Amino acid sequence: MNKAIEALEKGHQFSATPFVLDEEAVARYVEAVEDESLPRLAQAEGKAWVPPMAVAALALRSLMEEMTLPAGAIHGSQEFEFLRAVEAGERVACRAWLAHRSQRAGWWILAVEMEGADDSGQPVLTGRLTVMVPR
Amino acid sequence: MSQEAIGKERWGVGAELPSLAKMLSQEKIDRYARASGDFNPIHVDPAFAAQTPFGGTIAHGMLLLAYLSEMLTAAFGQAWLSGGRLKVRFKGAARSGETVAISGHVQRVQEGHERRRLWCEVGCLNQQGEVLVAGQAEVKL
Repeated sequence: MNKAIEALEKGHQFSATPFVLDEEAVARYVEAVEDESLPRLAQAEGKAWVPPMAVAALALRSLMEEMTLPAGAIHGSQEFEFLRAVEAGERVACRAWLAHRSQRAGWWILAVEMEGADDSGQPVLTGRLTVMVPR
Repeated sequence: MSQEAIGKERWGVGAELPSLAKMLSQEKIDRYARASGDFNPIHVDPAFAAQTPFGGTIAHGMLLLAYLSEMLTAAFGQAWLSGGRLKVRFKGAARSGETVAISGHVQRVQEGHERRRLWCEVGCLNQQGEVLVAGQAEVKL
């Protein structure tokens, strides 16, 4: 069930929703961000690399199937570690949990930590997202 | 000297990463919303956004991070894709119609047994010179 993020308790575990980084979705992402570096690198290495931020963006989208950010929410900070390059066609499942929940000056401060893993269970990225939500 | 060795030689403290400039438009923000699935009205609904303190739509923070990642891919290639780390704070909003500048430089280098570890200060500024995103990237070469 989709719930407002500020209604979740600290420690809440999000369902690991798998997503496939198919060629069409990757091409749409590369076009949207006008990334010229990744296609050059992919061509030079003969691999269909996915931009690491595309993996991150789609991992965040998979979380949004379970939580809602209110319109006034502000993205405060972001951390990512890209553990290995991902190729188009791979499937990633993102496991995430609410790592922090506090109140300050009329805002909820919330942090979600996540780990995206491939089909063999090997992590491909980890991340931490901090958002501020008006109370 | 191998390409890898040349790459390692290139990145001393103070070395500048290949900067980028990106013009933001509502069309580009909408395109990113479709690609990422993030349709928060602050990004895609001008009428809604006009009623917020921003006074208009703003770009997704993750779009600005995509620009940072493009710069880091251009600088470090595979080392960025496999082992790169990024830690940033969002300090301001990028508005539709603005041009943002993405830049960075090597802040610290640590020589390891087999690999060299670099910490880079990275950021995104608008055309008024206001910092929109600031943080650090780390790679192992």
